[in-house]
Amino acid sequence: MQSKPRQWQWAVPWLFLAPALIVFTWFKFVPIAKGMVMSLHNMKFFGPDEWVGLAHYERAISDSALHAAVGNTLLYVIVSTVVGGVLAFCVALALQDQARHVRIIRTAIFIPAVTSVAILSEIWRIVFYPAANGVANSFIALFYIPAQSWMADPDQALYVVILLQIWKSIPYNMVIFLAGLAGINRELYDAADVDGANVWRKLWHVTLPGLIPAFSVVIMLSFIRGFRVFTEIYTTTGGGPAGRTEVIMTVIFKTGFERLDYGYAAAVSFLLVAFTVLLTVLHITIKNRISRF
Amino acid sequence: MKYCKLGLAIATAGALLATPVIASETVSVWMRYGENERPVLDKLVAEFNSQTGHEVDLFLANTDFETRLARAAAGGNLPDIIVNDATAIGQLLEMGVVREIDRASFVGGDEIFDVAWDSTLGPDGKHYGVPTSAQAFAVFVRKDWREALGLEKPQTWEELFELARAFTEDDPDGNGEADTYGYVMPVSATRGYATWFLSDLIWQAGGAFVSDDGGTFHATLNTAEVATGVEFGRSFICAGYAQPAAITATTGDTTPVFASGQAGIYRSGPYHIAPLYGEPGKDLVEVILPPAGPAGRDSLGEGEAAFITVTSEIPEIAQSFIEFLVSEKGQRLGMAEGMDSSPIVRLSVNKSVDTLAVRQDEGWATFAEQFGEAGHYFPRVPNWKPIRQMTADGFNRILADCDSDIGAELAAMDGIVNAELDRQGVLSK
Repeated sequence: MQSKPRQWQWAVPWLFLAPALIVFTWFKFVPIAKGMVMSLHNMKFFGPDEWVGLAHYERAISDSALHAAVGNTLLYVIVSTVVGGVLAFCVALALQDQARHVRIIRTAIFIPAVTSVAILSEIWRIVFYPAANGVANSFIALFYIPAQSWMADPDQALYVVILLQIWKSIPYNMVIFLAGLAGINRELYDAADVDGANVWRKLWHVTLPGLIPAFSVVIMLSFIRGFRVFTEIYTTTGGGPAGRTEVIMTVIFKTGFERLDYGYAAAVSFLLVAFTVLLTVLHITIKNRISRF
Repeated sequence: MKYCKLGLAIATAGALLATPVIASETVSVWMRYGENERPVLDKLVAEFNSQTGHEVDLFLANTDFETRLARAAAGGNLPDIIVNDATAIGQLLEMGVVREIDRASFVGGDEIFDVAWDSTLGPDGKHYGVPTSAQAFAVFVRKDWREALGLEKPQTWEELFELARAFTEDDPDGNGEADTYGYVMPVSATRGYATWFLSDLIWQAGGAFVSDDGGTFHATLNTAEVATGVEFGRSFICAGYAQPAAITATTGDTTPVFASGQAGIYRSGPYHIAPLYGEPGKDLVEVILPPAGPAGRDSLGEGEAAFITVTSEIPEIAQSFIEFLVSEKGQRLGMAEGMDSSPIVRLSVNKSVDTLAVRQDEGWATFAEQFGEAGHYFPRVPNWKPIRQMTADGFNRILADCDSDIGAELAAMDGIVNAELDRQGVLSK
């Protein structure tokens, strides 16, 4: 009699997952599959679509505009992940205290993470308005630095939008690090104290190894966020000046919704999805290797 | 009595049979306008309804119009009529969603200016839409600033540049601070703004985007004339006489710059007359003809057009709505005559409507004069939009760097445009 319910026990987790799975299937997996099919066609909107096989993928390989965008995206991802991660780690170390004033500062720091990107972008455009009396230019004028063109300068624009991403991601990463710090066994610090370890030794041998899972989450999320960045770019520079802030997603958007070349846009999107999946798998593998030691 | 009733019944039935019964239909219409234009459109629709008994289901969208249209096309949910920029015709034809209009059987077709009809020609020489409104670009200037500095209305490029310099350096608003600029330039690559803005200067310098070799085309950007036009545009930015951030600005950014008194020269269309007469104010703004370059004062001519979709099940009724829209009555209503609302008809396409008599305003008169004498349409390649975007990317690169090699960049753009013309099947061999 007891064996019967056990027979169906495997179904219980699936039943709990079912609502989310159904929604995900309909809104994520089905569109992904449709996108895949679309990428093999020239979309006609009207009448039968034209089968082109892998032509769009071949075009992506030789598309120099896309290559430039991939380069910009890589720079965007690497700089924002490294700088955003390191700064967030420092902020988390400084704010791991439980004092009341720290909580106020934590809240203040967290505000960019919960504010709409469109609003942050508008703030950025105001702060970095390239007039001599712009906010950022007025500030650097205090140090006798001449006014800069910021997002209107092809050589600076990408770094200014990367700074926006860093500002936005620090609080998010900080919370992950704070959670990681709280999870480190206090006894390890006590033991290190007994051994006479100084602050740096404790950081290197206790804190950092204990934060590997937190670093892992931060890096993975930053990578994924960075590769599919769109709103931050589209609302600040629109990919300009001179295409120097063009990223993969803005290229996809322009190809799809401005040139209405849905087939090619779908192909590039699919490559981005495949790359993100690959990156995630790679990351998890590396993380597992490290945590084994 | 019985016979009397029967006779009445027969007479009634006879009368019913004699009068053709027209079922009231609903025409769905998508228009690239916003809520500012709704009062005018509601009035138009009410008048059409009272004349024909047919209803009109209006959908208005100023932003992402093409994207919504593409979605509707992909989902098989197109409206009966699309009213959009006439330049969208290439894209609509490429999508295969609009049907041919027979100009001969179009009621009132001979009342429409030929130059306007030309804007709806497909590459096969047939009409695929009906022009509903026309316009050309001119230049708004802060009259009070110009007069305060004792300068004349600029008539040449040199005078325009001098005005921009004076507006930037000579404190035209007299507040003692260097907080004003000359020329307001939307030259972002987004949606092709850089090309849209520079086209005037290129034509004024005597250049052209492509050469029409009789149905086929080849790019002609790498010429001394185009370089002159682009370099003149760049000189405002490099001298600091354009507003800051011009290089990433679209018209959404630039209109407030002029309206709020940060800069004093703005090239735009007649649709900005009403907003700019509101702010900074009618007394402070004047409309001038575009200052002439080496080859004249041509400026972009544009217009709107109505298209009937291939999916429409009531094309005759859809056409009757368009016939009403371009009739004298429809055009007058569309011009918001006697209303305090934004018009949907800028310059009338109907020969019977005297635009100036309806408008009675110097600014409108200037726009009408410019359209009549020096309006210049974009080249009639099958699909202009991708070329507009590609050239805008190139122009944006040139304008972003004061030391960039204009000739080399234009030569590269020629290659890109020719490749696109080839893709569209119209490259001259």
